[in-house]
Amino acid sequence: MTTLASPLFEDRPQSFRHRTLHSFNGPVGSITATLAVTLLVGLLWVGPEFFAPSNIQIVGVSVAIPLIVAVLASFALLAGVVDLSIGSMVGFGAVIFNQLVATGLNPWLVAAITIGVGVVVGLTNAFVIVYFGAEPLAVTLGMLTLLRGLSQAIVVSAPPTTLIDPLYNVTQGALLGFPTLLLIGIGITLVAAGFIGKTRVGRKVQAVGGDHRAAARAGISVTKVRVIALVISAVGASIGGILYVGQLGSASNILGTGLEFQIYAALMIGGYSITRGGVGNPLGGLLGLLVVAGITNILNIQFFDPDYLDLIVALILLAAVLVDRFRGGDEFE
Amino acid sequence: MTTSHLTPTDPVATKPDKPHISITDGRTFTSFRDAISITGVWVLLLAATLIARPDFLSNQTLLAVTFTMSISGVLAVAQALIVISGGLLDLSLPVSLTLSAWATVSALNAGLPTVLAILAGLGAGACWGLLNGAIVVFGKLNPIIVTLATGFGGLAIMLILFKSAQIPSTSALRAYGLGRFLGLPNIFWPMVITIILFGLALTYTRWGRRLIAIGGNARAAKARGLNLRRIRLATFTGSGAVAGLAGVLFSAVNPSFTPASGTGFQLIVIGAVILAGISLSGGKGNLLVLLLSVGFLATIPTSIAFFGLPPAWSLVFQGALLIIAVGIDGARLKRTSR
Repeated sequence: MTTLASPLFEDRPQSFRHRTLHSFNGPVGSITATLAVTLLVGLLWVGPEFFAPSNIQIVGVSVAIPLIVAVLASFALLAGVVDLSIGSMVGFGAVIFNQLVATGLNPWLVAAITIGVGVVVGLTNAFVIVYFGAEPLAVTLGMLTLLRGLSQAIVVSAPPTTLIDPLYNVTQGALLGFPTLLLIGIGITLVAAGFIGKTRVGRKVQAVGGDHRAAARAGISVTKVRVIALVISAVGASIGGILYVGQLGSASNILGTGLEFQIYAALMIGGYSITRGGVGNPLGGLLGLLVVAGITNILNIQFFDPDYLDLIVALILLAAVLVDRFRGGDEFE
Repeated sequence: MTTSHLTPTDPVATKPDKPHISITDGRTFTSFRDAISITGVWVLLLAATLIARPDFLSNQTLLAVTFTMSISGVLAVAQALIVISGGLLDLSLPVSLTLSAWATVSALNAGLPTVLAILAGLGAGACWGLLNGAIVVFGKLNPIIVTLATGFGGLAIMLILFKSAQIPSTSALRAYGLGRFLGLPNIFWPMVITIILFGLALTYTRWGRRLIAIGGNARAAKARGLNLRRIRLATFTGSGAVAGLAGVLFSAVNPSFTPASGTGFQLIVIGAVILAGISLSGGKGNLLVLLLSVGFLATIPTSIAFFGLPPAWSLVFQGALLIIAVGIDGARLKRTSR
């Protein structure tokens, strides 16, 4: 991998064939292979209707919001601070948006308030993690509980129904045969991938996640990078909450429960690590989510117990981290 | 601490025995301070509830709190063993709990004697721990990721295997779960014994010292000739067996349960461990402080109920407390490492 090559040779122009082969060597390569296998299984087992537009619409609608949340949460992973509170933040954001819109306020204003709440939550996480040097896993686990408790305290009876037409059209509509929201999500993924791979700021985030002491010595403000990464993660989750209200028309107090585990499992399958920063690519995250969504879809069509999904995801997750370890990834002891 | 006797301005540093004493005292002082601060906040909570609702001070409250403490206390010991030994966290403990409870109940329903049923529960927990340990040790993978995956997958397997399980209502174990001893629920006492036994074992046995050693610095412990893999496997298996005991107690007090019944314990157990000052970086921890933090966290739901707030608020308070506790712990570590 590139870690073996000295920095002098890193920018040497490589032939297209060489680059293609190289990219199949990394995590993105193995996840592409997994996705290909998933699609092949779908084609053989379900038949050609697996690729029918209506089925692609179903998969696309279900994967789009987790994708947007995942891509923005991946910044925190990349900076070396895992944010477990995203699932509860999606639920809490949705509850706030749903309840405030129901009181008759302007939806745009309410959306701004919801995102503001996301900023506050992200800053709280960041304050305790970065300034006090607390364990990110434990802090965000506390935040996960706190936000879930608040959602349950706010929504005690059936939540109100708020249908907002433009939001519904974006979240459920289609553009050129593809779900609009999925196209937006893929767009965000590509922008994020370009930002991380090609810009100086993106490389700084990777440097902080890889080795924060070395990054600090190189003059990068570790504090600033991590605070911004945690705020982006929480804001992404609050946007996810708003979109869920647009899609479902209301927000129950259990919305988003366990979403963080699904998202992080997909991101880890895609080459990220929740225990070490600096690795992973948003494209890998996208492919990881597509693999999970593809398996879900196959199981749904074949009327399988959805419990098998968690089992399969768990096995793929273990296999993915094991393959990553053999490739030279982090080794425990 | 050791840097202090290098600074010439410090007059105390000239005495050679001073730094040595301060190090040993520092350790006991930290757990003592943790114990004092948890007790302090606990007393504050009790006082606040008492002022709002004088009828809080009743036998009923005592029963509710000790009942809540029992299962989470045993699980907290299982979690603490993993954390102290440097195994980071076991996120699959809820699965150990329901798996062992299921094994116990199945053995009882098959007509096996109570002793065998309890052994089946302990064995199921130990096997589950061994599985986790084997994946961690032989795959050289991070325990948090491994137990995240096994927790997920294990819950899925159990949901496929059974939807809900019932303990035979006439069994001796069920009667034990309903009974009381010295005015407190029966299941409270195994929890106290577990905490005391493991607390003493950690401090006074070679096994406990090895566990703390590999938690503090795995590489140094290995260099001293400790078999890291064997201790790691033994810790996961032992911790699984303790979680198995929690499962047996759980089956005794719940007339029926589902595979997902254990998930509610996840956070209170991790919270209790961290609140007790058992740092996730491993190598330190005092189980008696753990008993205090379990008691404190178990009081919160009862107090919330007496304040007339909906139960959801106890989640808010427990979450906020966890954030504050890890913040204080982090600040303390940062200060000492400087």
